[in-house]
Amino acid sequence: MDELALRIRNHVYASFVGDGVAQTPEAAAAALGLDEGTVQAAYRQLHDAHALVLHPGTTEVRMLNPFSAVETSHRVEAGGRSWFANCAWDALGIPAALHTAGRIDSACPDCGERLELEVRDGELVRGNGLLAHFVVPARRWWDDIGFT
Amino acid sequence: MVFLRSEEHLERWLATNRWEPGVSMSAATLNELARRWWWSRLDPGWRPRAPAESQAILDDLGLTGAFWQLA
Repeated sequence: MDELALRIRNHVYASFVGDGVAQTPEAAAAALGLDEGTVQAAYRQLHDAHALVLHPGTTEVRMLNPFSAVETSHRVEAGGRSWFANCAWDALGIPAALHTAGRIDSACPDCGERLELEVRDGELVRGNGLLAHFVVPARRWWDDIGFT
Repeated sequence: MVFLRSEEHLERWLATNRWEPGVSMSAATLNELARRWWWSRLDPGWRPRAPAESQAILDDLGLTGAFWQLA
C-alpha cells in the first residue's frame, strides 16, 4: 500500500469519524486537492488490501472497519456522537478505536430483543451476561465480509 | 459476528438458519479482542498489520486452533 493511498485512507476515516459521512472519491479528491481518478484508484487499492470495503463494483464505501457506512443492527454512541458498526466485534471496536467510553445498542438475532452494552475505561461494564458468536472461521472472514 | 442473549438463543438461531455452530465467547472476551484489534485503527501513523501480528493477537487471547487460523 503506497503512501498516497494511506493518506487518502486516513483522510476518509477522519472525515467519517467527524461527520458520519463516507466521502465519495469526488469529495475526497476535492478535499485533498487530488485528481478524482487517482482517488478512485486508491479506494480500489485500499479495498483490495482490506483497509476499507466498497460496495461491489463501485467506489462507494460500505465499511471503514470497525465503522459501517450503512445502517446495521449495531448502533454505537461514543464521545457524544454515534455510528453504526458492521458486527458485534466492530461495535466494541468503535470505543476501542476512539479510546473512549461507548454504549452499544444491538439486537439478539434470535428473538430481536434489544441488547445493551457499555464500555468504560476499556472494560465491559454492561452486557457481561451476553454471548458473542463467530459463525465463520478466521481464514474465511474476507470471503464475504458482509456476511462475516 | 453477533451478540446473543444466551446459549438457548444461539442454538435456536443456528437451527433456524441451518448453520453449523462456530465459536462462542463471552462479551467481555470479545471486548478484549476488540480493544487489542482496533486500538490503533485511527492512529495517524496507521499501517496495515502483518498477518502474523493479527494472529498473535488471537493467540494471546487463547483463540487458537483451526477455527482461528487466519491463513
